[in-house]
Amino acid sequence: MKQLLLRIEPMIWLLFGQGILLGTILLTGWLLVVGLGVPLGIVPAEALSYERAHALGSNVVGRLVLLGLCALPLWKGAHHMRSLSIDFGGASRDALVATVLYAIAAAGSAVAVIAVVRL
Amino acid sequence: MARAAHPEAMKPRTPGRTRTAPPLMPDEFPTRGRYLPYVLFDATGLVYMLVGLAALRVVWDLGSGPEAWGVVQEQLRHPLYVAFHGISLVSVIFVGVRFFRLFPKAQPPKIGPIAPPPEPVITAMLYATWIGVAGVMTVILAGGIF
Repeated sequence: MKQLLLRIEPMIWLLFGQGILLGTILLTGWLLVVGLGVPLGIVPAEALSYERAHALGSNVVGRLVLLGLCALPLWKGAHHMRSLSIDFGGASRDALVATVLYAIAAAGSAVAVIAVVRL
Repeated sequence: MARAAHPEAMKPRTPGRTRTAPPLMPDEFPTRGRYLPYVLFDATGLVYMLVGLAALRVVWDLGSGPEAWGVVQEQLRHPLYVAFHGISLVSVIFVGVRFFRLFPKAQPPKIGPIAPPPEPVITAMLYATWIGVAGVMTVILAGGIF
């Protein structure tokens, strides 16, 4: 497993880097409106009515943005949690921790692809 | 005829006695000095993972129809969800500020024949992109345009 992790490391680093860069850029607007603005009543609920939200999310650009928004933070999260685990004495269990975390990120990314395709 | 040398041709038969001390964590780790922001930066990984999964759930429900969308919108109003999204926003800003400070310093002196722009220019471009995309996305999602 350690060998496989080393072999796919460039791909993991690519997704991790994009998770920090694009994930941070995309999550800011999402959290401001979907996470906080509408629930707190700062933004009118009609802005995210089903018809409008579906129209925004179901075009090509909308699907790509939603895919990046869901999938990329998972890779940033997985890689940083692995790093945290190593720093807190988990070097000996790194292969297991990394496998579980990257499996969650990969499964989440696959579900994200399905989620945006079915919009 | 010359041939490639075995990569471990010079390796001793038995491992030599190392004179390197075993690695120890610094006394300041994990909550003092520069280690606190370092650990917090890594710890935002948990927040990113959870917020990614939460966003995935919202998108999935959007694809499930108006009824599921109404349910998830109602659930997003729960104080725990609002608190979590507040913490997530703080985490995202923390990660952005720290990463955008690091990114220009991590650039190589040259990329092929081209030298990257000076650090302040890269930083300004990153912040302009972040503020610009977040601003446009906020305005679109909030119903300002489209």
